[in-house]
Order: sequence, then structure tokens, then C-alpha cells
Amino acid sequence: MSGKTNEALLNYLYARGSEASSLNKTGGWRLAAPEKIKRLSPCRHDCLLHSEVPDWMEAVKGGRWEDAWQIMSRSNPFPALTGHVCFSPCTENCNRGRLDQELEIPAVERAIGEWRFDHYQPRRGPRAVKDPVAVVGSGPAGLSCAFYLSDHGYKVTVFEKSSISGGMLALGIPEYRLPREVLNKELAILEEEGITFITNRTLGEDLMLRELNNDFREVFLATGAWLPRQEKLAGAEHKSVYHALDFLSLFNTRQHVEIKDPVVVIGGGNAAVDSARSALRMNGINHVSLIYRRSRAEMPANPGEVEMAEQEGVELVFNANPAEVVTETASGSISAVLFNHSKTNREGLVLDTSRTFKKECGSVILALGQEPDYSVFDPLEEEMSLFAGGDLVSGPATVPEAIRAGRLAAFSIMAKIESRPGPDVFGISEQPVAFEELNLLGRSDLELQDRQKEPVLEAGRCLGCGTCNTCGICYLFCPDVAVEWINNNYEFNLDYCKGCGICVTECPARALQMEGGY
Amino acid sequence: MKITDYSIENELMYSGHNACPGCGGALTVRYLTRALGPNMALAITASCWSIIAGAPPLTALKCPILHCPFPSAGAVGSGLRRGLNAKGHYDTTVVVLAGDGGTFDIGLQALSGAAQRNEDYIFICYDNEAYMNTGMQTSSATPFGARTSTRPYPLFKHGQKKDIMRIMAAHGIPYAATASLAFPQDMENKLKKAQGIKGFRFMHVLSPCPPGWGTDSSETIHLSRLAVFTNFYPLYEIINGEQWQMTYYPEKTRTPLKEYLEAQRRFRQVDEMTIEALQEEVDRDWEGLLKRVNSSGETK
Ligand SMILES: Cc1cc2nc3c(=O)[nH]c(=O)nc-3n(C[C@H](O)[C@H](O)[C@H](O)COP(=O)(O)OP(=O)(O)OC[C@H]3O[C@@H](n4cnc5c(N)ncnc54)[C@H](O)[C@@H]3O)c2cc1C
Ligand SMILES: Cc1ncc(C[n+]2csc(CCOP(=O)(O)OP(=O)(O)O)c2C)c(N)n1
Ligand code: SF4
Ligand code: SF4
Ligand code: SF4
Ligand SMILES: [Mg+2]
Repeated sequence: MSGKTNEALLNYLYARGSEASSLNKTGGWRLAAPEKIKRLSPCRHDCLLHSEVPDWMEAVKGGRWEDAWQIMSRSNPFPALTGHVCFSPCTENCNRGRLDQELEIPAVERAIGEWRFDHYQPRRGPRAVKDPVAVVGSGPAGLSCAFYLSDHGYKVTVFEKSSISGGMLALGIPEYRLPREVLNKELAILEEEGITFITNRTLGEDLMLRELNNDFREVFLATGAWLPRQEKLAGAEHKSVYHALDFLSLFNTRQHVEIKDPVVVIGGGNAAVDSARSALRMNGINHVSLIYRRSRAEMPANPGEVEMAEQEGVELVFNANPAEVVTETASGSISAVLFNHSKTNREGLVLDTSRTFKKECGSVILALGQEPDYSVFDPLEEEMSLFAGGDLVSGPATVPEAIRAGRLAAFSIMAKIESRPGPDVFGISEQPVAFEELNLLGRSDLELQDRQKEPVLEAGRCLGCGTCNTCGICYLFCPDVAVEWINNNYEFNLDYCKGCGICVTECPARALQMEGGY
Repeated sequence: MKITDYSIENELMYSGHNACPGCGGALTVRYLTRALGPNMALAITASCWSIIAGAPPLTALKCPILHCPFPSAGAVGSGLRRGLNAKGHYDTTVVVLAGDGGTFDIGLQALSGAAQRNEDYIFICYDNEAYMNTGMQTSSATPFGARTSTRPYPLFKHGQKKDIMRIMAAHGIPYAATASLAFPQDMENKLKKAQGIKGFRFMHVLSPCPPGWGTDSSETIHLSRLAVFTNFYPLYEIINGEQWQMTYYPEKTRTPLKEYLEAQRRFRQVDEMTIEALQEEVDRDWEGLLKRVNSSGETK
């Protein structure tokens, strides 16, 4: 802006009034007033945690990392973890995809997690002062529950069967998909927050429900789904036949695994794919086949992971059901697996025993699915109070769902202890804002742009569907200067707003509505 | 400059002015003061803005305003410039603000005189396409098909909107441009460009008027945009009366004129056949404009 008002002029151009027209409170003309609203975005709708994506995108865009973390941790205390392992359904219907490319939501999420690692300050004031609560199982469900309880001052003890904490994050998901450094930083912070971790303790063996109920105010069970699904398969008891989770646990904790080339992995879920990719990374293993009894499209595994496996050189075989693990009589070692042709029709899986083939191999990994071990509930006594969640309750699911379950458990436990009504569960009855509803015509600053490496720039691509993303359009287009833009945010000045509704019509994000008239 | 680089303190228009809700004219002045101010003096000819600016002692602008008689805008601008120069205020930008009546009709001779003399100021016409302040009477800027209080429903105006831009171009003035409220960045660029040029500069801003056009007050920007998207109101500039250049080509956004007309109650009585004829008219004007742009050499 050039210079200042020419004061000298004001003195001799008398036709101009001397008082600001703002003495005239034109807000009185109004029939309806604009108001800020919030509508559901597709990303939040699809996120398994219903994370407030546009809100933390907005914070990251403005470099307000602390705010971003605060918003994030309302629903997801482990963004660094989910940023690595979540299959990110949030990005699938991202409205930005209709312009150029969907936002890379997990990358920004991860950046918030990493910011937090670098800026974490132990909480000041009393920690672990409220009632003691026990969490059994240190997977994402247990950790999330522990986080929220401890965040509210409860004294939390986490019991874990394995020698290390993290559940599937430590034992199931391989390191090449989740660097252990990330998990360890997360665990270190939780410990710093005053949570006690006790490993090598197994509920039902050296830890009893009765004992927990006596020593702790409440108990949360999150022992996951670890029992291999039992299928009749001749020869499967051979010691060179591994169950996927046993194999992965050994592999992931860098223990010795007796395994011989070529390897046959049987199954079509994530555990199967991870086993195949892990096996291929082992010394002396050159050939790994992943054999599934249905078609590729029917695989429960994440398609992206399957593609990665294929790219890395895993041989994919479909429509083959194992019949027998064949052992060499002389050496006693495995020589092959016999398969029948199989496919699904309306009745389910049908086998064609006339079509068989033999797959030569040195080792077999069975990944036929796993299920919860309900024996953790034994012996259940009437007066016991128990909470449970994660894979233990849902059956095999995902990390974000486990986090969500842990959070829900924490708030339910606190509500019970503090005799409050149960927590609000975020409902998704609302329809998310559709791309067609966004009014992007006024966003002259919007340029077609592919994904950005820099998280701040990537967050800047967010259109803020249903959430104000401080584009400034409402301020710009108000004929009455009744939208005040201060500190990169806006406020309606209802003393002057005449209720024309331009701001509501033009808001690209659909974050405004007209209230009270029309 | 980004939209949000502005703050409420460096706005040069106060709230509390007397424009109707959703007034395009009010927004025109808000943008122009922001782009040209604060060291500017404004002459306002009889129009809605005579009222919007506030009855003394109130004023809606932070810069000096000189109210002047209806046909005199062109002459008053000339005098104001010379007077300020005599007082040594060479750096003060002089702006004349007039409605379409004060520009296309009653103000035309003074405007033409000033343009011909190449007086050193900026003339801005905020065009709401009728004499709105006195009750929506037809002007020569009213488009074919619009009903006005002098051609009330079911009558409507016959005869084309006067092509003021070609009239101004014929004067060979250094700079003339059209601008739209829906394209504030484009408008700001043009105003700044005009400010940097010496001599007579003319700017035409289509300024939707909700009560006069029979539109919802919330549609002002939307209509401004549609006017551009339908080629009813193309965005361009003319240098020295001969160099025509487009500043926006509605390639992907090209919209049938019908949408623009149907969004306004003032065109309610226009039948399908007339709409088709008007569409042809708009297409022809657009072709003519493109020809002028292309024969100017420098094209995008
Ligand atoms: C190989 C594999 C890869 C996967 N990859 C992904 C992925 O990329 N993304 C994704 O979102 N999801 C993935 N999943 C699913 C995800 O890991 C699980 O849904 C999630 O970890 C479930 O969390 P949880 O806390 O309920 O259970 P878990 O993570 O299984 O944790 C349960 C914990 O309880 C312990 N425990 C069990 N029994 C006892 C007992 N009796 N006493 C004490 N402790 C006990 C276990 O040792 C374990 O540490 C994968 C699953 C597998 C098997
Ligand atoms: C010589 C003269 N005739 C008539 C008027 C009454 N008058 C005041 S404003 C106005 C209409 C102005 O129309 P326009 O220039 O289009 O501006 P708008 O009011 O539409 O903004 C008229 C006719 C006048 N002030 N002076
Ligand atoms: S543009 Fe932003 S708010 Fe909209 S769906 Fe994508 S990430 Fe979510
Ligand atoms: S644009 Fe301004 S006057 Fe119109 S409703 Fe919004 S705040 Fe009120
Ligand atoms: S117009 Fe922009 S700044 Fe205003 S409410 Fe909508 S998104 Fe927020
Ligand atoms: Mg007018």
C-alpha cells in the first residue's frame, strides 16, 4: 500500500464527511446472519479413527505443529505409527483427487508424529496419581488405552506375554514396513509418562484375572488374535512347517529361524504377504511362492502390499488349496506341498481333486488366518469387572481400529470410575461434503499441483472440505467489510453484517451457513 | 499479494455504509480503494454511491471525496487533477467514480472531452445497468431483454447495450479495461497498472445490483463470474486504443448465456427464441473482440 492518506487534502475537500460511517450500525438491517459451521469431510468419514484430518492439515499448513498434535491426539495418539502402517482408506475419496491428486494424508500424519518425538516434553505436575488400571496386551489397543488413561492421571500397568512390547507392531509387522525406531520412541514416551510395562507375563499362566481384579481398579484385556486357525492338512505337524505369526515373531525379533529354500507360503491375508516378503529377505532364500486358494481379487490382504510382494519377486499362485505336505522318507525333511485346484462359487470353496500339482519346497509357512484366544477370560467370576477390545473382540482387524477400541475403553473406564455417562462415540450418520458442493471458483490461489514432499506444502493442498481452511474468501468478498481478518483468522462483525449471504455462497469449503432467516 | 495479506486496518472503506445488502457497487469501491489508496482523491457523480458514501458528517471512505453533479464527472475530474497539481499534490491519484447513467448517457460528453484531452486521472464506471438510485430506469447500459421501471414487466428493453469500451478505445486513451468482482486479482492488477500510467485511464466494472436485477443478495459474485464465463462480459484491456488484450479466456468454464439470464428475475419475460438470439449476439461480439485482439498482434 502506497504511503498514507493525504491529510492535507482532507482539510480542503469539504464535501467529505468527517466521521467514519461505522457509527452507522447497519447490522440492524439484517434478516439472517452467517455463521461458522463444520461438516464432515470424506477423509474423516473414511478414516477408521475418524481423525479430524482437515483440522490438523490446517494447523500443519500454518506451521502450528503443537496444535496439529493436540488435534491429532484427540483421536489418534500414535500418528507416527499409523502414518507408517495404516492402509489409509482416508485418501481413497479425498476430494482433491478430483482436481489433481489425492492428498498423501499418512505422510502428513507421520510428520506430526515425528514432530512430537522431537518436541516431546514430559508432562509437568502429578502423574499416575489416580486409581491403578491394568492393561493386558501391549498391542495398539492396549497402548492407546494406556495413553488416554495416563493422560488423565491414572496409574497404568501394561502386562505383556512376549519379551517385548508393541503386539503386532513389534512381532507381526516387519521392520521394513515399520522401522522399530518409531515404535521404540513411542514406547519410551509412554514410559516417560509414567506407564509401567511388565513383559514376559502371560495372563492365564503367571497372571490371573482374580489377581488383577484385586490389585487394580479396572482391567482392560487386549490380547489380540493370535491363535492359528486349525485346518486339517496332512503333514502340517512337521517342524519345518511354521505358523505365520510364529515365523514373523522370530523373524522380527531377529531370532534364528530354521528355514530352507524354496519357501511356500499358504494363505492370502496380510500375515501371508508379510511372511512371504520377510522370507525373501532371509539369507539363502531365493524363491518364495505365495499360494492362495481363491483368486487375486478375493485376497483379504491389502492390494498394495500384494503388489509390492510381486515386485520384489514373490511368485503368486492362485486357486490352489493345499492337500498334503510331502516329506522325503529318507531324510525326513519336507520336499513339496501337494495342491488341488480350487475356486469359489455361490456355495463357497469348491475343490477339483482331479486337478492337482506338486510344489517343490524346503519349508512351508501356513498363514491360514488367526483368531482370538478366548481362554484369557477363564476363569471368569461373576463379580469381576472387565473391559476388552482390539483384535480380541473384533477378530483380526487393523491398527487404527485397535487404537480406536483402546481409546473407547479408556474413556469408558474413566466414565465408570468417575460415575459419569459413557463417552460420546463419533457417529458418521452425516453425508460427507461432496466435491461438487465445494465452490472452488473463487480460489484463484488454487493451482493444479501434484503431491508435495514437504508436509507443510502437502497440507496446503487440502481443500478443507466442510472445515474452514482460512482461504480468506469470506473476508475478501464482503461488501460491508463485516468479516474481520485478524491473525490469519476471521470473525463476523455483526454490528455491520447486512446478511447478504455472499460469504456463505462463496465459501469454497462449505464451512459457513446462513442462520435465522430466508 | 495474497487475499489474507490484507488486514482490517488497511481497508480504506469503513463498515456502516449505505449500500444495499450484496451491493456490487460497494464491493467495486472496496477493491479500488484497496488497490489505489490511500493517497487518492475521489470525485463521485450522482449515483447510488452518492448515498452509499454516507450523509455528512459520516463518510464511508478513508480518502477525500468530492461529490459532483450528475453530468459533470469528466469535467470535475479534470479540475480536481489540475487543482491538486497547482497545490503540489502530484502524487495523489485522482479517481472519478460514476454509474452507468453518469458514464454511458448523461456523463458522456464530459467524459469524452476529458478523454480526448487525455486528462491525467482514472475514470471508473461501476455499471449496474440502469439508473438504480432513482428507481431502476433504463439506461443505455441496460442489456437487451431486461425489465426496468421504465420498461416494466412484461415489457423489456429493446436495443443493445452501448459498447462503451469501443467508444473509449476510439479516443485513443492510454489505458482502458474491463474488470469483474469475481476476479479480484485481475481487477487489482489492472487498477495498479492504470495507476502507473499517465493520462486518461478508463475502467468498466460490471456491478450486480440485487434489487435492480432481481437476484438474491448472496449471488453477486456468482453472477459476476457467470457474466464472464458466458462471454457476456469478457475481461480485457486496451492499450492506446489499439492494443486489445484478453486477461481471461473462459476455455474450460465457458457457460451458455441462458444460465446467466435465468439467474436474474429482470430477464424473466425473455423467451427461448430471444435467448437464442442473444446467445448469437454474444457469440458475435466475442468473435469481434477476438478479431481485435488477434489483429493487435500480442496475444496469449
Ligand atoms: C502380519 C500382520 C501384519 C499386519 N499389518 C497391518 C498393517 O500394516 N496395518 C494395519 O492397520 N494392521 C495390520 N495388521 C493388523 C494389526 O496388526 C492388528 O489388527 C492390531 O495389531 C491389533 O491390535 P491389538 O492391540 O488388538 O492386538 P495385538 O497387536 O495382537 O496385541 C496383543 C498383545 O497381547 C499379547 N498377549 C496375547 N495373549 C496374552 C496373554 N495371555 N497375556 C499377556 N499378553 C498377551 C500379545 O503378545 C500382543 O503383544 C497386521 C496383522 C498381522 C498379523
Ligand atoms: C441532472 C440530474 N438529473 C437527474 C438526477 C437524479 N439522479 C440522481 S442519481 C440518478 C441515477 C444515476 O444512475 P447511474 O449513473 O446509473 O448510477 P446508479 O444510481 O445506478 O448507481 C439520477 C437520475 C440528478 N441528480 N441530476
Ligand atoms: S481435500 Fe482435505 S478435507 Fe478434503 S478430503 Fe482431501 S484431505 Fe480431506
Ligand atoms: S458477506 Fe458480509 S454482509 Fe454479507 S452476510 Fe457475509 S458478513 Fe454479512
Ligand atoms: S470462505 Fe474461506 S476463510 Fe471463510 S469460512 Fe470459508 S474456508 Fe474459511
Ligand atoms: Mg446505474
